[in-house]
Amino acid sequence: MNGVNAGWVADQVAGYIKDNQWEGLKEKLSEIARSPQPGLVAQVFTAIPRNVKPSAQQLRISFGEVEGLGPNPVPVIVRDWSVVQLLRVWFLSQIPDLGQEAYVALIDRLFKYSDMEESVSLYAALPIYRYPKAWQQRCIEGIRSNIGPVRKAIMVFNHYPSRFLEDEKAWNQLVLKAFFTDEDIPNIIGLNQRNNPNLAQALTDYAYERYAAKREINPMLWILVGPYLDERAFDLMERIIIESQIPLEQRAIAYAFKHSNYDIAREYCAKNDRFISLSDDSGTPWEAWEY
Amino acid sequence: MCSYHEQDRASMGQRIALDLELVKGLRFFDPHIHMVSRTTDDYQSMADAGIVGLIEPAFWLGQPRTGIDTFRDYYSSLVGWERFRASQFGIRHFCTIGLNSREANNEALAEAVMELLPFYIYKEGVVGVGEIGFDDQTAAEEKYYRLQLELAKEAGLPVQVHTPHRDKTRGTSRSMDIALEHGLDPGMVIIDHNTEETVKEVLDKGFWAAFTIYPFTKMGNERMVQIVKEYGPERIMVNSAADWGISDPLAVPKTAALMVKSGISKVAIELVCYKNAITAFAQSGQLDEGLLNEKIDVDQGQKFEGNSILRGGQQPRRDTGSIIIS
Repeated sequence: MNGVNAGWVADQVAGYIKDNQWEGLKEKLSEIARSPQPGLVAQVFTAIPRNVKPSAQQLRISFGEVEGLGPNPVPVIVRDWSVVQLLRVWFLSQIPDLGQEAYVALIDRLFKYSDMEESVSLYAALPIYRYPKAWQQRCIEGIRSNIGPVRKAIMVFNHYPSRFLEDEKAWNQLVLKAFFTDEDIPNIIGLNQRNNPNLAQALTDYAYERYAAKREINPMLWILVGPYLDERAFDLMERIIIESQIPLEQRAIAYAFKHSNYDIAREYCAKNDRFISLSDDSGTPWEAWEY
Repeated sequence: MCSYHEQDRASMGQRIALDLELVKGLRFFDPHIHMVSRTTDDYQSMADAGIVGLIEPAFWLGQPRTGIDTFRDYYSSLVGWERFRASQFGIRHFCTIGLNSREANNEALAEAVMELLPFYIYKEGVVGVGEIGFDDQTAAEEKYYRLQLELAKEAGLPVQVHTPHRDKTRGTSRSMDIALEHGLDPGMVIIDHNTEETVKEVLDKGFWAAFTIYPFTKMGNERMVQIVKEYGPERIMVNSAADWGISDPLAVPKTAALMVKSGISKVAIELVCYKNAITAFAQSGQLDEGLLNEKIDVDQGQKFEGNSILRGGQQPRRDTGSIIIS
């Protein structure tokens, strides 16, 4: 994912707007810059789909990491976004500083009245808002959302939660909820850096519950449990590595054993040639993972 | 709305076993249904029966709201959670936003709701102002009907008009007269809940005539077949208005099946059960047939996680014929 910058994004955005509406939108932006009336901000934000060229309505866009969109030193990852979402996030990045109280109130109001697509854009934009620490409760609220695309906008390919969710419990809820809702776990940004023993404990409990229900267990769970492996986790993993018919599941457990600090697991792995080859991570989702 | 007394079987007409094979391959659009009151089983069976899109008009919830926040949350759920819920079953969810006639009678609250409406009517997927109009035909109802007609005109949106149950014929005429008085193009106004008594005037005046197939209290679909035979398919559309009462979310495909059996042409059936509603509400700029032809982005590769409908992916199917739940 090559980094691109905000100026480049602005050029891209202009190309998706109906020819006769780009000037009007820029005018509104300067009006907002001069005097950011909440009503006008809401109106422009909501009306953005009406500015997009019909030919661009169905496009999906991936730029990778965008540096410098908004004031924070945190990149935004544009991955499989609609043009409307890109335009909306770019628009949000243009809202001037109004002082924390007014700025937060302005963005909060957009959240309060948002429709599904607007919510997705507002949450995808978490890394670009001013006063980044002020959005922690909003982020926690979004993680609770029942609307799949909204949750995904926060959990996957978004730098905000791992950088700014200070509370370990809130981070752990994000990861647990991602497992419950079968999100794209390997693409949760900061998954490795924010891993912790409490999370590993909760994931082990969850694995026992899934096992009792005879439901599949996402192999990434074992990768997270690995560094904090204990007797209880080991007992279940040993059972599953023998019973499992799913190669990726066996490989995840073998990898977790090999890289754990739990002697019994490392020895168990060393004694079995089969497990040594299974623990190879090439081509797995955790290939880039480093203990 | 429904009365809960036992129906005399004989009064319910001839029974024809449900056979949706008759309409297999046809696509349906239900332009009036209150999904907030329906279960996921309904969504599943609607998708199975060929319903690809629907419009959920804002209405009351069976008892009056007492505060503005519940209105806001309701409107938000129409453009948020319910839109997502429908998408999980491959159904496009649109809505109309408005202050319904019953709750227009709480004037203090109605004033606050009027201030709220502009926040929602410009949203994506909001295809009209509705359902608005008369219930008791009070002065307050008239006041807020008129104000919302002006709002629709300003926003360039179609209007979905609820006609009263009591004193229906006069209430319907009055609804149309007021719309014309405010300078609305009748082609932008959908008059709902028509009967044999109202249809002629509605069509003659150039409005769209919607019919609600709703057991016991509104239209039956045998009567609907007769109306299409008599008036033809132009500017006529069928809906279920299924809600929290005894109603039928499959009213549109069932009526289509009865029309097939009654010898009505496929072209006419497509108009009254699909196309006309799309043409009428497409005038909002928020809905077109191309959108309905696109497959909804449901990720079938993902698996369902047991405890609630939390997923981005298409929903797994319950085995309704088994006592085992797993």
